[in-house]
Amino acid sequence: MLKINNLTAAVDAGQKTILEGLSLEIPAGEVHAVMGPNGAGKSTLSYVLTGREGYDVTGGKVELEGENLLDMDPEERAAKGVFLSFQYPLEIPGVPTMTFLRTALNAQRKARGEEEMSAPEFLKKSRALAKDLKIKPDMLKRPLNVGFSGGEKKRMEIFQMMMLEPRFIVMDETDSGLDVDALRIVADGVNRLRNPDRGMLIITHYQRLLDYIVPDKVHVLAGGKIAASGDADFAKKLEAEGYDAYAA
Amino acid sequence: MSLDSNQLPTRRDEAWKWTDVRGHADGQAGLSAAGRPKFTLPEGVTIAEVPRDDLDTDTPMAKLARSFGGKVWAIDVPAGLQPSGPLIIENLNRGHIRIRIDIGKGAKLSVIEHHAGDSGSFTNLDMTVTLKASAELDRTLIHHDPDDAMRVVTAHITAWNEAKIVQQALSFGGNLSRLETRLAGMGKHIEAVLNGAYLLDGKRHTDMTSYIDLTAPDCTIRQAVKGVVTDKSRGVFQGKFHVRRPAQQTDAEMRHDALMLSDAAEVRSKPELEIYADDVECAHGNTIGQLDESALFYMRQRGIPLGQARALLTEAFLTEVFDDMADEDLKISLLEKIQNWLAVT
Repeated sequence: MLKINNLTAAVDAGQKTILEGLSLEIPAGEVHAVMGPNGAGKSTLSYVLTGREGYDVTGGKVELEGENLLDMDPEERAAKGVFLSFQYPLEIPGVPTMTFLRTALNAQRKARGEEEMSAPEFLKKSRALAKDLKIKPDMLKRPLNVGFSGGEKKRMEIFQMMMLEPRFIVMDETDSGLDVDALRIVADGVNRLRNPDRGMLIITHYQRLLDYIVPDKVHVLAGGKIAASGDADFAKKLEAEGYDAYAA
Repeated sequence: MSLDSNQLPTRRDEAWKWTDVRGHADGQAGLSAAGRPKFTLPEGVTIAEVPRDDLDTDTPMAKLARSFGGKVWAIDVPAGLQPSGPLIIENLNRGHIRIRIDIGKGAKLSVIEHHAGDSGSFTNLDMTVTLKASAELDRTLIHHDPDDAMRVVTAHITAWNEAKIVQQALSFGGNLSRLETRLAGMGKHIEAVLNGAYLLDGKRHTDMTSYIDLTAPDCTIRQAVKGVVTDKSRGVFQGKFHVRRPAQQTDAEMRHDALMLSDAAEVRSKPELEIYADDVECAHGNTIGQLDESALFYMRQRGIPLGQARALLTEAFLTEVFDDMADEDLKISLLEKIQNWLAVT
C-alpha cells in the first residue's frame, strides 16, 4: 500500500539531512510501528509523508497505491486518504470544531469527485462517534483545540480520523499526554479502524501504546534509516534494551 | 463658488498624516457640490431640511460641509420613541452632506448607512448625533467604494447621562477613505461599543479614526477594530481616549489587530490614551501579524485547500468584532459580505 524507497530528506533549507535512505513497505491491512531515539527523524518522516513545507525531499520515492505522493500538495495527499495524527495538534482559533471538520470532509470528497455529506448525516455520525470517544457535545461547538487539554486534543485527533476514514494513517507520538484511561479510549478507536484496506504507521518513542494497538511489524529508525525490524515482541525487547545498539 | 484645495487637510496636519486628502482630491466629482442622500425613516421619526448653521463642529471637513453641503438634514427621534425598524441612509455617492440626528430622552434609533460612491467621486458626510439621557443609538456603516472614489465620513456624537451607543463599521475601502467617530461623553454612566473591520485589496485605503472625550464618571467604552490588508492596500487606525479629571471610574478598552496578507500592504496604527482622572481602568492593545503557517498546514493536512484554509482563518479573525450585534439579519449580511470578499481575494 505505502512504499517508501531510499528516501532522503533535509531541513533548514537543505542544510541538515535527517533521513538518509529510508526504505519501508506497509501492505494494506497491516499496522507497522516505527520506534527510535529522540532526534532519529521520526517526526520528520511524518511531515515528509504529509508534505509539510520546510521538509525537503532530496531523493527517493514515496508511493501510495502506486501514486507518487511527493508531487502532491498536503491537501491532495489528504484527499488521497493520508491522515496524520499530530504529536502537537494545532489550535484553530475562531473556527468551531464541527465547521472545521465538515469543511475538511467535504473538501476531501469534492477533490475525489464524491458527493458532499449532508448536514444531518454529518451531525448524526459525529454525535455517535463523540459519544464513543467520550467527547462532550459542547466541545464540538468550541473552536478546534482552543483551550483543550493535551489529552482532549489527542482524542480530538482520533475523532477527526474516525470521521474522515482515511486509507492510510500516520500517528505521531499519539500516546504522549494521555493517561491510561484516555489511552484505552484512543486505542479502541484506532483498533476499530483496522481493516484489510487500510494501512497504519505508528511512530512512537515508547512501547506502551503498542500494548493497546498491537502492530504487525516493528521497525527501529536510527541514523535516518530503518536499522532493524521485527514482530510485535521486538518492541518489548527495544523497550528493555534501549536503542544504543542501533546508534548510527 | 468652488472649493480651494488649500481648505483640504494634508499630511502636514497631524490627524491626517496617513490619509492625504489634498493629495488625492484633484478632479474628483462632487468636490464643490451638495450631495443628495436618500432616507428611509422608521415610523414616528421626522426629517426636515433646515438652514441651521449652528452645528458645533470645527474639523476641516466639517467646515467644508458647511460651505458646500447646503441645508442640514435634521432628523428627530421624539423622547421615548423606540421604532421597530432602522433609519436607512443611502445615495451617499458624492458631494458634501450634513445630517443632524437628535435622539430624545429614552428614545432609541438604529441607523444603517450605505456608503457607496460613484466612480471618481468625492463624498464628505458630516453627521452630528445627540443622545439625550438614556437614549440609545445602534449605528452600522457599510462602506464599499469604487477604487477611484474618495470619502470622508465624520460622526460627532454627543451623549448625555446613561446613553448607550453600539457602532459597527465594515469597510472595503476606496481610493482614499476615512471613517471618523468623535464621541463627546457629557453625561454619567455612558456605555459605548465602537467596533470596526476593514478588508482591503488592490491599492485601497481605509482610515478608521476615533476620538473619545469623556468628561463625566462611570463610563464604559469597548473598542475593537480588526483589519486585513493584502496587495498594496493600506489600513490606518488612530484611536484616542481622552479621560478628563471628573471622569472617574472610567472603564475603557481599545484594541486594534491587523493581518498582513502581503508584504507590500501597509498598516499604520496610533493608539493614544490621555488620562487626567486617577481612578480609571484604561487599556489599549495593538498587534500586526500574519496567518499562522502551522495552523495552515494542519488544515491542509485535513484536506482543506490552501485558499479555503486562509479564508477560514481570516474570517475567524475578523468576525468577532460583530459578535455583539443585536440585529441578527444585519449581522448575517455583514458576515456574507466578508465571506464574499474572502472568496474572491
